[in-house]
Amino acid sequence: MKVSTVKSLCTLLACGLLAACSQWRYDLGAPLADTPIPAERTTLADTLALLGPPLLMTATDNGFVLAWEHWHIREDSVGFRLGALGADFMSADWGEMRIKGEFLLLTFDKQHLLTSSSRSEWDNYGGGGKAIQPLFGFVSVVDVDDLTDVMPQHRWGRSLLQRLPGVLNTSSNLDTGQSGLQQRGTPTAAGQQSLEMD
Amino acid sequence: MKLSAVFTALILSASLLGGCAQFESNRGVEVNWQSTVTEQLVNGQSTRRDVLALLGPPSQVIALDGESALYYLFERSEGEGLILILYNRMHIDTRYDRAIFFFNKDDVLTEFATRLYPTDEG
Repeated sequence: MKVSTVKSLCTLLACGLLAACSQWRYDLGAPLADTPIPAERTTLADTLALLGPPLLMTATDNGFVLAWEHWHIREDSVGFRLGALGADFMSADWGEMRIKGEFLLLTFDKQHLLTSSSRSEWDNYGGGGKAIQPLFGFVSVVDVDDLTDVMPQHRWGRSLLQRLPGVLNTSSNLDTGQSGLQQRGTPTAAGQQSLEMD
Repeated sequence: MKLSAVFTALILSASLLGGCAQFESNRGVEVNWQSTVTEQLVNGQSTRRDVLALLGPPSQVIALDGESALYYLFERSEGEGLILILYNRMHIDTRYDRAIFFFNKDDVLTEFATRLYPTDEG
């Protein structure tokens, strides 16, 4: 093998090692596509037999609301860093995210009869970005943490142990099952939760 | 000859640096709502005390204007990935084992439902 050929191949290999592509796939819950929506006035018992336990639930003034959800999140990113050469002073990143989901919301009255239903499906661009960052990498171009968080039921017992603004807002906390519910990824900077100054 | 050996070593090193990953994350209450357990519960007869004795403390207690509901949740995430330096792929599958029990004003069980993935059925 010629010296020049080997040098070229080594250079190509070194350049290749500086770049990388990452793909993350998240599946949360079971798909709802094949699930039939119960008719109005269906009893709670029949609904639970059909759909199983809901993933979210909250009390309302006239009864209660149950919700089922399924999320599929796709995160792709490509990065180029010089760190492998011992010179971590420049990085270039590109990333994007797509969100596919289904949400089924059923409202029951105090007689445990279904009064309304709502179903939605979406397949959207969830965000992304590009960055060239010298010296330090400050910005993550794709962020899915708020969508892949654990279910709020795990936090229920902690509602009175938050910082004071959070405790004062407990009666309106959407994780308690008493004051409504919200889908994953709902912004917290507006509405009742903004009072918690989280 | 020497240079080709270096090149081969580089290729070999790069391939050896590749790897795979597998991980699991469990959150929630202990799964006690297998069908062998819940078949002891009868709507209209069993009480909240019976459910709590069988399943233990729930993840969430929900007050429904006199009525109430106990919600049990166990969240399991399993991830696996391929790490090839130039291309990395991770897939995380999260599933929810859960059970819900509704009680009337006298704490008698009115409705309940459970969902358990086969691997957790025991």
